[in-house]
Amino acid sequence: MPEAVIDIHDVHKTYRRRIKALRGVSVRVERGQIVGLLGPNGAGKSTLVKILMTVVRPSRASGTVLGHAVGHKPTLRRVGYLPEHHRFPPYLTGGQVLDFYAALAGVDRSTRRVRAAELLEIVGMTEWKDTCISEYSKGMMQRVGLAQSLVNDPDLVLLDEPTDGVDPIGRRDIRDVLNRMREDGKTVLLNSHLLSELELVGCDHVLIMHQGQIRVEGSIDELTHDSRRYELVIVGDVPDWANAQPEIDVRPTAMNEPGMSMLVVSGTEASSIQPLIDRLRADARTIVRVQARRDSLEELFMRSVINRETGQVDAPGAYTGNGGGA
Amino acid sequence: MRVFGAMLVDAYRELNSKKLFWVILAISGVVVLGYGSIGFDAAGVSIGFGIWHVESEFLYDGSVLSTIFYRSIFASFIVAIWLTWIATILALISTTTVFPDFIAGGAIDLVLAKPIGRLRLFVYKYLVSLLFVVLQVTLFCIGIFLCMGLRVGDWDPLVFAAIPLVIVFFSYLFSVSVLVGVWTRSAITALLLTILFWFGLYSMNQTEAILLTVKTQFQLETEHAAERLAALEANAGDEPDETTTSRIAELRTEQQEAEDLVARLDTWYRLTAGIKAVLPKTGETIGLLDRWLSRDSDINIMDIFTGNVQADGNGQFSLGGRPDRDREAQRRVQAVYAGRSETYVIGTSLAFEFVMLGLAAWIFCRRDY
Repeated sequence: MPEAVIDIHDVHKTYRRRIKALRGVSVRVERGQIVGLLGPNGAGKSTLVKILMTVVRPSRASGTVLGHAVGHKPTLRRVGYLPEHHRFPPYLTGGQVLDFYAALAGVDRSTRRVRAAELLEIVGMTEWKDTCISEYSKGMMQRVGLAQSLVNDPDLVLLDEPTDGVDPIGRRDIRDVLNRMREDGKTVLLNSHLLSELELVGCDHVLIMHQGQIRVEGSIDELTHDSRRYELVIVGDVPDWANAQPEIDVRPTAMNEPGMSMLVVSGTEASSIQPLIDRLRADARTIVRVQARRDSLEELFMRSVINRETGQVDAPGAYTGNGGGA
Repeated sequence: MRVFGAMLVDAYRELNSKKLFWVILAISGVVVLGYGSIGFDAAGVSIGFGIWHVESEFLYDGSVLSTIFYRSIFASFIVAIWLTWIATILALISTTTVFPDFIAGGAIDLVLAKPIGRLRLFVYKYLVSLLFVVLQVTLFCIGIFLCMGLRVGDWDPLVFAAIPLVIVFFSYLFSVSVLVGVWTRSAITALLLTILFWFGLYSMNQTEAILLTVKTQFQLETEHAAERLAALEANAGDEPDETTTSRIAELRTEQQEAEDLVARLDTWYRLTAGIKAVLPKTGETIGLLDRWLSRDSDINIMDIFTGNVQADGNGQFSLGGRPDRDREAQRRVQAVYAGRSETYVIGTSLAFEFVMLGLAAWIFCRRDY
């Protein structure tokens, strides 16, 4: 079995007023993986990350981070962290931010200088290193934040909404940095609301949390395997013979495709749709497109947070024991 | 030490960015300049680099009293008023945001996620927060030291005793600010409650001083009445006349009433002193500087101002011949304060500070952010 960088079990956290932020969460992250942590607001994602970073104390937890018990401070020397809504001292420049947090992480002066220069170059902030961060835009702040999380050359990096407030160019740059981390063999736990970002990054593993529990986990391929299908869009109505075949599903087309119909066949093999195409051609039907598809992370996410009893998406918030969010 | 060094540099950068720090430093410069503008010539004292001149038979160039006078202006006025009142209020305003900002969401996460224990982080942050006062007082004392040396030839390094004294004085109040700041996360609440606490301390100090002074005055009254009674009884012989008997009875009643009053005052004084024992002794801590600087002379600045000084013609001075009851009461009150050792004054105050910081550290270390 590959080495686990994070291997925690049965993590509970109950805040005051009996708000159960985490209810028995177990997570295993292997070395070199990029893991996406998803969930609606109040699902417990940030609490979980903060417990790993010793910012929040768990009510109950067991397991290890980088081979040491959760909460072992010296281990944090090998961990990088970018919190959501982070706030750097406004009187520091970008370069000073990196130097200060690297010193707190125990990095010696000469290494700090070299590392800060490298990281500012990587995140595209070299020209701004001597500017006070109070003058930075949100995107620039995120870039420096990302550099800060890497300043101690960590083995494990926890990023909480790293692309929050960042423009598309900045997001692409951050994705590049993440890919570089993957190449360097670093393990990344990525907490993000932007599901498309996680798909673009190509997470090796996804955890979907809801109301303090892990609802779904696995690789994107594993999680979306059952939803793999072929979609055929044809001109005109669905033929009667197609309606009669149970293996063919009929779905509405997009709004910009009036006068067309969509036929869906589950499966991953292209050979499975050849008879259908032959039949349509024999009927002289015009095939507009044939597309292999699977559920997006967003569709997977939405399925995961639907209440099985009501069929509706639960209100956002932590579990309070009365069925609602908090 | 790397972490402490980084936090110290960060604290300096923070100070550097605060306008108030520079404003206070500038005002301190003006105060030092004002102090340095006082000089002595053969005929008396000059103020404002010679703009005003006051002739004096006691204060002139080379007079011992000039040195005492110059030192006393520093210890009794500049330290007691500027450093321990105005500059302290400004320093509290400036530093009260340090801990609430430190533990603000998004900021504290970044430091707690580093491999530093929470208690260590708290202690370091507290210590580097005192840098504000350390820098201000150190620069100020260097200015005062130069003034004393250049103006009256008094190169006494004891002036620098003001640095630790003002720092510990400030730290008593700052510990309260830190506790409230960590507890409520609000800088404005921390500032208001700290100033309220300081006002309470001041009131307690004043109450104790007034009770002690009044009690001492009535004690002198009873001693005086006892002396008069003893004299009257001695003169009256074995069979005093009716007027004398009546006078003796009257004096005994007065004495008894005064003793009763002293006893009642003593109860209140002990109660106040008892409460004060566990509180920081702000006034007495700063008073130590005056005590140390005036250790070689019985004459203080009030004696000079009130003219209660006499010259012996050889350039030496002594206290004037006015040992009245008020003077004796003042002497006894000062003796009570002088009887409280430096260890007691600073030790009990630091004990209070440790309790405040202990509570603040406990909240800081236990809290989820």
